[in-house]
Amino acid sequence: MTQEPEQKSPNTELEIDDGTDTIPRRRFLNLAGAGLLTIGFGSLAEGVVGGISEPLNQQVESLIFQPQQPIPEFPITAIEPDKLIVNSFRGTPTINSDAYRLIIDGEVNNPLSLSMSDLQKLPLTSMVIRHVCVEGWAAIVQWGGVRLRDLLAIAKPLPQSKYVYFYSADGYYESWDLDSVLHPQTLMAYQKNGQPLAPENGAPLRLASPVKLGYKLSKWVTRIQLTSELGEKRGYWEDLGYEWYAGL
Amino acid sequence: MRSPVMPKQALPTKVFHWVSLVSLFLMMTSGLQIYNANPVFGGRSGLHMPPIFGLGGWLAGGRHWHFAMMWIFVLNLLWYGIYILLTRRWQHRYVSGKDVKALLVSQNVKRKNYAWHRVVYTLLIPILLLSIFTGVGMYKPAQFYWIVDSFGGWDALRITHFMAVPSTLILGFLHSQLGRKVGGDRLLDSMFWRNN
Repeated sequence: MTQEPEQKSPNTELEIDDGTDTIPRRRFLNLAGAGLLTIGFGSLAEGVVGGISEPLNQQVESLIFQPQQPIPEFPITAIEPDKLIVNSFRGTPTINSDAYRLIIDGEVNNPLSLSMSDLQKLPLTSMVIRHVCVEGWAAIVQWGGVRLRDLLAIAKPLPQSKYVYFYSADGYYESWDLDSVLHPQTLMAYQKNGQPLAPENGAPLRLASPVKLGYKLSKWVTRIQLTSELGEKRGYWEDLGYEWYAGL
Repeated sequence: MRSPVMPKQALPTKVFHWVSLVSLFLMMTSGLQIYNANPVFGGRSGLHMPPIFGLGGWLAGGRHWHFAMMWIFVLNLLWYGIYILLTRRWQHRYVSGKDVKALLVSQNVKRKNYAWHRVVYTLLIPILLLSIFTGVGMYKPAQFYWIVDSFGGWDALRITHFMAVPSTLILGFLHSQLGRKVGGDRLLDSMFWRNN
């Protein structure tokens, strides 16, 4: 870095005006300019930054994730019914729940096609957890439904299956790591806050879990597919640039 | 050197200051980008920040920057913490009882300014550590549920994390101005630009 020659010899002008200030002021303006340029170019480079940092972050996230450890739940009185915001990428699809089937297939020994009444015969798990959105808001919600690990225990994944795809009636798609799918609080839910799930919240069946961000928690799920490899497509928001692991 | 009192800075201190300045700038601007997705104050229709201060262009981009820079920001504080422990700088470079005494009883304006200077930059450390603590709680609220609980809930945690921005800006500004009062522009120069 080049240096400005500085006048430090006795100089009466110094006392009169703030001429000594020009160098720091110029540097401050340079800094402010550099800051704005950084925001501009940095915003263009966000994909590169994510591409470099996300693999590292994902390794740390999956390393510290404890797949068997339940997340502490809240009392019923802590539920925040007004805080859960309805997000979807193309509105609420119309689903006839009598004709509805949940398909579980892919790398499993025992592919399944289940109706809502089949699902409701399985053990009901209820939990009061914090639902956290990538946007920054959170809501404490009660979800009731079937543990995914119970469903997979029936479908019997092949040993090589490592990932799970969720396909929804509206075209939304997601993929998860198997560890998070098998977490004891990852549910296929059909109840919210003690009531049957409303269509805008994902009826007849949606994902609910305290261990993933909201965009991983697909609504209107119609098909669960186990696979040994992630494909080119990993999820609606992920393919646009959001993190894939998105663990909490 | 023409000046007989040109302050000298240890290289690690200069590196720490540069990395802190740059990483904090990137953490704050990417943080404001994330903030704007759902303002801490008022939600979607709430108080938005001017978009020009938001790094990343959109929410995912802001998150990419924030979660990349957090490593540099945290590791910079960590190695510098180890450095001041090993060199015992923590014993004589930070605010002490003598500074408090100077503030209370001293008539010497220079001594008082120096004491304020030490108060302010020492105070920056817990503020920055608090931003890491609240940040971990927001990044992993399920695994570090006790961090969220210790703030009484999600909203209080978000507000505390956000408050790192104004507190760091104010303390950083005071730090630079008190530094100039104590050591003049040459002190600032010695920390950031001048080779010595």
